[in-house]
Amino acid sequence: MKKLVSLLLAIAMTFTFCGALAEEDGKITIWTWDPTFNIKAMEIARDMYLEEHPDAQIEIVERLSEDIETAVIASNGDTSTLPDILLVQDNSFQKFVTNYPEVYADLTGKYDLTDFAPGKVAYSTIDGKNYGIPFDAGTVTATYRVDYLEEAGYTVEDLTDIDWNRFLEIGRDVKEKTGRAMLSGQAGAVDMVMIMLQSCGSSLFNEDGSVNLKDNAALKEVISIYKTMVDEGIFIEVNTWDEYIGTISNQTVVSTMTGCWILSTIMSLPEQKGLWALTNIPKLPNAEGATNYSNNGGSSWAIINGKDIDLALDFMQIYRNVDFYSAILPETSAIATYTPAKDGPAYTAGSDYFNGEPIFATILEYGAQTPSNITGAYYYDARDALGTAITNIILQGGDVDTELATAEDTVNFTMGF
Amino acid sequence: MTNAVSSPKKRRLSMHQKQSLAGWAFLAPATLLIFVLSFYPMFSALLTSFKRGRPTALEWSDPLIRNYQFMLRDKVFLQSVTNTLTYLIIQVPIMLALAVIFASLLNNRNLKLRGLFRTCIFLPCATGLVAYSMIFRTLFTYDGMINNVLLRFGIISEAINWLNDPVYAKAVIIIGLIWRWTGYNMVFYLSAMQSIEYSIYEAARIDGANGLQQLTRITIPLLRPIILVTAIMSTNGTLQLFDESVNLTRGGPGNMTITMSHYIYNTMFTKNPNFGYAAAMSFVILVMVAVLAAIQMKVGDKR
Repeated sequence: MKKLVSLLLAIAMTFTFCGALAEEDGKITIWTWDPTFNIKAMEIARDMYLEEHPDAQIEIVERLSEDIETAVIASNGDTSTLPDILLVQDNSFQKFVTNYPEVYADLTGKYDLTDFAPGKVAYSTIDGKNYGIPFDAGTVTATYRVDYLEEAGYTVEDLTDIDWNRFLEIGRDVKEKTGRAMLSGQAGAVDMVMIMLQSCGSSLFNEDGSVNLKDNAALKEVISIYKTMVDEGIFIEVNTWDEYIGTISNQTVVSTMTGCWILSTIMSLPEQKGLWALTNIPKLPNAEGATNYSNNGGSSWAIINGKDIDLALDFMQIYRNVDFYSAILPETSAIATYTPAKDGPAYTAGSDYFNGEPIFATILEYGAQTPSNITGAYYYDARDALGTAITNIILQGGDVDTELATAEDTVNFTMGF
Repeated sequence: MTNAVSSPKKRRLSMHQKQSLAGWAFLAPATLLIFVLSFYPMFSALLTSFKRGRPTALEWSDPLIRNYQFMLRDKVFLQSVTNTLTYLIIQVPIMLALAVIFASLLNNRNLKLRGLFRTCIFLPCATGLVAYSMIFRTLFTYDGMINNVLLRFGIISEAINWLNDPVYAKAVIIIGLIWRWTGYNMVFYLSAMQSIEYSIYEAARIDGANGLQQLTRITIPLLRPIILVTAIMSTNGTLQLFDESVNLTRGGPGNMTITMSHYIYNTMFTKNPNFGYAAAMSFVILVMVAVLAAIQMKVGDKR
């Protein structure tokens, strides 16, 4: 019995000790994902910081976005199991801060956000308080294979500043002449639909937070264009992310339209060097406020409460340094949301993959013209319901009005809890 | 223990007391751990299922059974129940029948390379759930191996988009489950068959019983208790199905293949976290498992 008691005591003490270790000062732990992108950027930030603070201890841990989100929810407000800094998807930011306000440090007045793009800062601003340090932009770019366009008798200028009707015409023509589809994407993931929707400043929610699905004229226009593209084989729906990347690397599609982070994938295909051109996306023909610009993805850094916040803030000052953004751009092609970064030398340089064009400067221009969207805590509930609706519309010929009404009911139902 | 200390006359414990104390001492750690790690969380989850609100500030819902009431109106939850029951009704009987057939084939003493065949059929159980789900996903993609083989042999004229079709996607999950679990159940039957006297079969053969008659008249009746056990385990497992739904089909297309456990996970981790509702749904699964097991025991146990 005594042994058992002492064993239990020993176990209890080990746990307490571990807890104490996690709070240790002078060390920063960072959770983030993607070794070629976010992790790479953080490593460069760490090295720059270490030059001035050789004694600092900064540990970068690779964890997938889903794993980080699961860990935050599983910790349920107990920050001792969480790192000092973690990366949050912009679309998830509102959800996490609304549910766990005690986990995320309020950075209002503690971190100077004046030089960051206001649309980006809005993602991590909840009730007027700032909880995030903006990182990369998810500015959408349309990238085309010039060789295939040429085969069909088009140039990238023919696809610049156009609307979706013109895009459909060209798409049909290209398909007929080259046998290739224009675009590809994951079925049910609704990335393309969300990109098209945001390009006219419309969202799945209204300003007051109510659901905006069944009476959303822009959304109906988007779905109709999307369905036409899928039905006519201009857009190939695949099942997995890997298959989507495969359609680009196996050269089955002429184009891809998504967040500019996709450029790091395109630039990892040496055999396609010089074959790509970059431009803006088509705009919606009828919707109010339609533009040729949109956003998909992008994330911001959050600092966790109950840790050494001052140290973390001091480290994160790197993200207000033009040299830092110039250093990470060639390595990661992460587009800054820190406005002064555009004057850095890396942004004006041309890219071999895009025929020497200064694509990064172009993307920054696009970013400045991108309408913002409303996310809120229930963003993924709405996105999920929309995905189901679109699957039903495409696969089973469901009626758009009925399906959107069902989707709106589903989201309202969840919000009614 | 207090007894022994408080009575100075009888300092030493009797043999019986000693033994019983030793027994308790051996049981105590396991019991304690089960209570702390299993029963306490279950009780705590039951309380959570009556609560609502922000995860770190849960409060009692009004009325208390609010989460349970919502469930009946939740189309996605009802869809997930339908999906799970579909898997259960189609997959479990096919799998158990196959397992009995394989077991009785492999129980034949005249069969050469029995050990090899047994290993081959059991081997899928050694693969991880996530790993095999991912492999099945790759096999059944639009340009995957299954489509290529079927096209090559002219069995189908056009590639089937398995994972993007409500019926085929369910079929893929069922095929996966049968592949993964048939060998597992077969091992139970094989070991039960070892205890059936071989001379019974010899006697039956002398009486002119063919293989099928031996199976239905001797093997299956004698296997009844173990068939009951495997049926309960499979039902239990299927109702809690998670990995296949998450990794193989991602619940799609739409929510056509989502299982109850997958929906509970989504409610907690991918949507706006709703602990109370997720806990309530997991209790519904518990009740369903208990009810189905009770029915099966009633039907299957004819002693």
